[in-house]
Amino acid sequence: MITFQDQIFMQFLTGFSVVAILMIAATGLAIIFGVCGVINMAHGEFIMIGAYCSYLLREYIVGPNFAYTLFLAIPLAFAIVGLIGLLVERTIIRWIYDRPLETLLATWGVGIILQVVAKLVFGSELKEAKVPHILDGGVRVIRFLQFPYYRMFLIVVAIVLLALTFYIIFKTDFGLKVRAVRRNRRIASCLGIDTAKIDMTIFVFGSGLAGVAGAVLAPIKTVSPSMGFNYAVDSYMVLVLGGVGNLWGVAAGGGIIGEAETVLSFLTNNVIGRLLVFLFIVIIIRVVPRGIFGYQERR
Amino acid sequence: MEKVGEKQRIQPAGGKQRRIRRTPLIPWWALIGGAAVVAAIGAYGETSANNYLLSLLGKFLCYAIFALSIDLIWGFTGILSLGQAVYFGIGAYFVALSLKINYALTHPTRYGGKIPDFMEWNGLKVLPRFMEPLMSLPFAIACALIVPTLLALLFGVITFKRHIYGVYCAVITLAESLILQDAIIEYQAYTGGFNGITDYGNITGPVFMWFILAVTVVFFVLARLLTHSRVGTVLKSIRDNDVRAEFMGYNVANYRIFVFCLSAFMAAAAGAMYAAWVGLISFLDAGPGFSIEAVIWTAVGGRGTIIGPFVGTFLVRGASFFLSGVLADWWQLIMGGLFIFVVLFMRDGIVGTIGNWWRRQRGATYGGLVEEADRQAHDLQAEWQRDSGGAPTREI
Repeated sequence: MITFQDQIFMQFLTGFSVVAILMIAATGLAIIFGVCGVINMAHGEFIMIGAYCSYLLREYIVGPNFAYTLFLAIPLAFAIVGLIGLLVERTIIRWIYDRPLETLLATWGVGIILQVVAKLVFGSELKEAKVPHILDGGVRVIRFLQFPYYRMFLIVVAIVLLALTFYIIFKTDFGLKVRAVRRNRRIASCLGIDTAKIDMTIFVFGSGLAGVAGAVLAPIKTVSPSMGFNYAVDSYMVLVLGGVGNLWGVAAGGGIIGEAETVLSFLTNNVIGRLLVFLFIVIIIRVVPRGIFGYQERR
Repeated sequence: MEKVGEKQRIQPAGGKQRRIRRTPLIPWWALIGGAAVVAAIGAYGETSANNYLLSLLGKFLCYAIFALSIDLIWGFTGILSLGQAVYFGIGAYFVALSLKINYALTHPTRYGGKIPDFMEWNGLKVLPRFMEPLMSLPFAIACALIVPTLLALLFGVITFKRHIYGVYCAVITLAESLILQDAIIEYQAYTGGFNGITDYGNITGPVFMWFILAVTVVFFVLARLLTHSRVGTVLKSIRDNDVRAEFMGYNVANYRIFVFCLSAFMAAAAGAMYAAWVGLISFLDAGPGFSIEAVIWTAVGGRGTIIGPFVGTFLVRGASFFLSGVLADWWQLIMGGLFIFVVLFMRDGIVGTIGNWWRRQRGATYGGLVEEADRQAHDLQAEWQRDSGGAPTREI
């Protein structure tokens, strides 16, 4: 017999994998937004391309029986989406760094173009990329309810990526420069830091992270050209809630939104769940307008 | 404030005196041109030479009012809302539901029900209680206008009072619009869901065309009056530098809330007329895609000008109408390219670019002084903003 409490607990566990996906997607967004000040509306489409990388790799290159598809797909998606990010940055974004709201419009255009291209190339039907069989099954948590290995894998990936980002930003020379540029761009420039190059690298890195999010997302969601938009909006809500450009904010915002949305959607339905989370976010930022971790920002 | 149209002298740098004239509220040539356009459209409605083209014209006018409402908040006040379609959609749905309910009373469905067909498909037997007031059309119209305005007021009080704007505002409004869209699809028994509401005896004919025209003219003049008044000047100063406006003693939040409510009202009115005129609305009319598209119409026409949204809407929608059939998916590609093109190469839009050129021709920029000052102000702000930590908390 599965009690209501058990079900809620399972939803809570499932929520962690949603949190993981949100965190992977929002980390990329957070550093792009936080350092370069660019609002990347094509982020959802970057996720979509990452998902297609994962799907195509499994279907056409390594074959469905290969066990380690994902370990190939993650770096591949990072590289391909990173390259697309580089292209977008070099041709469009670099001319409009000083107009944040307009980067929103331009990247929205990029998003439309990527969506249409994906539709023309891959067709608009839903595709499915199955979970690799070494990650099939799960741990039995309570009675019949089991927690899939794949969702655990997602959580591990999210933690590793967040830790890696932390390491890069806080422990390496490059990260030092990034933080300097973020704190005071002009002084950083005076100290001989090539701020344009930092912007470019960060944009590519953030895009790559979106690709990774898509690659690990593909096995549990259907892959289609328009799959990314909701993730992009959710990621932005994570940033708004957590505080812009603060990696702890990403963890906190992602945690709250992912869990709340999963559990509330289970208790009511998708729409009311989302609505409640939205109202909650609005109330929170009414209290702390710069997000949960935003107040630490020195001006 | 001096009287409009009064001549005054200024002392430009360089010591040379030059007479300049303040722009009148509506220049005589615009008045004549506008009257001609209005009369032409109205007369076209009277002759009804081509019903299809006429319906398209009314549709575009509604779109143009919607774009104008975005121009008021974005072009003049600097608030980018990606959820303006929420207000348009709510206005449209109120009117469409009311018309549909009344239509169903006189046109029973195939199974003899006197409720809208989509309700019957979803297993409803009688009209839900909470929808009964919508049987009265005037009540529905009042709701269509008041509910969005109050919603905008609520939104404004929550966000603007706490200095949440710019990117934050854009993201929150985007999410708002996405949720409304999902809700419309989810509660299809009450909203028609994915298929939208259709076939409810929309109002056509020259009389309603004249009405749409009249509303358009009223909103146009209203927008012109507002932006050329003292309030309009304050709004522009908020757009350009909100901190300075605040220090000068203006209650920035209240100005923002006021203009946001006004634009929500306009969007709602556009939506209400759209629903009545076109006779088909769906979740897309409340979704984020529609809002952003309208932002692009405004940008193409020229933000910060009143005529710009009209020009942009008619050009882009017109092109979309004639080309999307031929080009299918490629048209979407062109739209995507248009977003990028407008942002990169045509910041001021068509009207703004022509206006700049005209002012240069007339030498009305005080020997380039105005442009120079504009550019310097923009550069300074850009630097200051990027210095303040990268996170774009205030917009240019």
